[in-house]
Amino acid sequence: MSDPDGLLLGAGGEPEPAAVPDPDDPLALGEYRPGSAAVLTDAERWPTLDAEAAARLHRWRTHPAAPTWVHATGDRLTAEAVERTRRPLPLEGWLDDHLAIARRLPFYRGRAGLATLADFPPIGRADLVADVSAFVPLDADLDRLLHGTSSGSTGAALVIPDDVEEVARGFHLLVDLARRAGVEWTPDAERLALVWVLQQRQAFTYVSLISGFAHRAMARVNLDRRAWGVASDRSRFLAEADPQVISGNPTSLAELLSDDLRGVLRPLALFSGAMALSGPLRAELEAAFACPVIDVYGLHETRPIAARTDDGPFRVLDRRVLVEILDAEGRPVPEGTMGEIVVTAGENPLLPLVRYRTGDVGRLVRLADGGMGIADFEGREHTEFVTGSGVRVPSVDLTQQLQSHGALGWSVVQGASGAVAATVVGGEAERIREALERLLDQPVEVTRVERLIDLGEGKPRRFRSAVIA
Amino acid sequence: MADADELLQVWSSLAPPERETWASARPGPPLDAVAARLSSVPRSFLDDDVSIAALSGDIAGVACASAAYAEDARVRRGAAIGLWLLASEELVEPFAPPLAGPWALRAVDSLALRVAPVVDPLDWLADDERREEAARTFLLWAGFVPAGEDRETARALWQARDSLRRSSALAEAYAAYEHREEIARRLAEARAKEAAARYSSE
Repeated sequence: MSDPDGLLLGAGGEPEPAAVPDPDDPLALGEYRPGSAAVLTDAERWPTLDAEAAARLHRWRTHPAAPTWVHATGDRLTAEAVERTRRPLPLEGWLDDHLAIARRLPFYRGRAGLATLADFPPIGRADLVADVSAFVPLDADLDRLLHGTSSGSTGAALVIPDDVEEVARGFHLLVDLARRAGVEWTPDAERLALVWVLQQRQAFTYVSLISGFAHRAMARVNLDRRAWGVASDRSRFLAEADPQVISGNPTSLAELLSDDLRGVLRPLALFSGAMALSGPLRAELEAAFACPVIDVYGLHETRPIAARTDDGPFRVLDRRVLVEILDAEGRPVPEGTMGEIVVTAGENPLLPLVRYRTGDVGRLVRLADGGMGIADFEGREHTEFVTGSGVRVPSVDLTQQLQSHGALGWSVVQGASGAVAATVVGGEAERIREALERLLDQPVEVTRVERLIDLGEGKPRRFRSAVIA
Repeated sequence: MADADELLQVWSSLAPPERETWASARPGPPLDAVAARLSSVPRSFLDDDVSIAALSGDIAGVACASAAYAEDARVRRGAAIGLWLLASEELVEPFAPPLAGPWALRAVDSLALRVAPVVDPLDWLADDERREEAARTFLLWAGFVPAGEDRETARALWQARDSLRRSSALAEAYAAYEHREEIARRLAEARAKEAAARYSSE
């Protein structure tokens, strides 16, 4: 993945589509090769691009300390779409309209009696995996469709039709959440508006411009040391980028506490997502950066659901989202009782969901100001494995290898001795074994089972490690 | 006998979207000529023992997709009539322009898998309106607009005859199948293009 000479970049700094994989990295995944998925022109990526913005883009793409950008992508917004996406979708009457749209979805064809929300049967990830098109309205504007994927906690990868304007609106949601946390986040000279940090073996990384934020730059950056030409580039790039806001998951945000980074960053706010953020990590981040840490709960399928800025309940967002808590039989439980979080989600017009089972657990509580909260949230566990030489490897690195070798679902357990036992559904067992052994430098045993249910009911844990408590 | 729903699902999985098919359709033979030829199908083609795979192999050099479902009498007769239209260009006289082309077997399959599950092919022979429906469907999926008609007119006339559209339950099922194919195609296209920038982990 490394490219110290920058030879994989074109004249404008954009990745070259024909770049070849690093022959020294047998774990390299094709789609993470520089430029392998970048096909648009910059004018298509940012239809409102002007000379000043183009210069900004060029600067960050070709910054001498920048990592090798694996990808190029933009927000694809026309001038009209830029204006539309600044504003949240109106909420008045949304649920009635949403249910009317849902009743016409192919999934509910032939089902009578769907008069109110409670009449809709809860649906789950398996329904989307089986046929996601059954949840896309027949009259949806497919010209706005983007290809999204979600690896999910049950392992089976899910392809999701994302909406280009909904994705763009997601940025303004972050601005709004920051404002509610007391942070005025407006364009500030040439600071990067946002850096989204990852910490994994391979990742799509890119520089983009935010059309609705005065064309300020943002970047998706992999903090993994292998992503940088020389070790000092990481802190040098981030110091000069001086990001106003940093988003990531707990694993990547924790990396910001490293000695080379904590002193050079001065974010206005941090956003955490995808996995549970522990109280101690939040406290450490707040102390290190003297800014709010906003934990956002949401699934790719549902879009953001709730957020919190402390260790109390998540506040259900003031948008097209409705949260219920159901018991194992799918019946609503009394307020304050633990159960499965089930979400009716109306922000993505290409995937209007009604009563979607998240697999996460919590209880619904009334907040002091009358808003709804989710307390005692559980789910989204993240696990680290340990290599033969003692290096920690995040579970997302295993996910990439398992999926690239065709596994539909899995359970990977590392015993106290370090040995790893993987149970997989689908995929090439021998290739998976080789890939995991190479990644972890530990003995690996792979067992094939036939069905996802063989991994356990509900939302079975994909990863466990007895090496790290 | 496979149910109509299942056969329509097979058809929607192998046919391009209607919209695109209309967009690329070019002037073809006169509708009357195709309808008349259709009604002159020899009895031997409609024999219960006829092997559609073998017949298609003899006429087109390869088995049509519907041959795999020809244990169903409607499919078998529908395919046989379509294959007769192709064979008749040699046995009777070629249409002008000729039907033979890259989409000839797709047109055969449209009769077998799209029209036949909804209207029995024997009705095509007995009823003028159903025969016109079959002839128009065949021409469309062969890549043609009937001679003397523009695309809009031809489309409106075909839709007015289309029995599938008039069967609400089947039309809904078919719309869902078509939708599934369209979404799969759009997702594949979008994947090949590139995603849009995102801002945070989910």
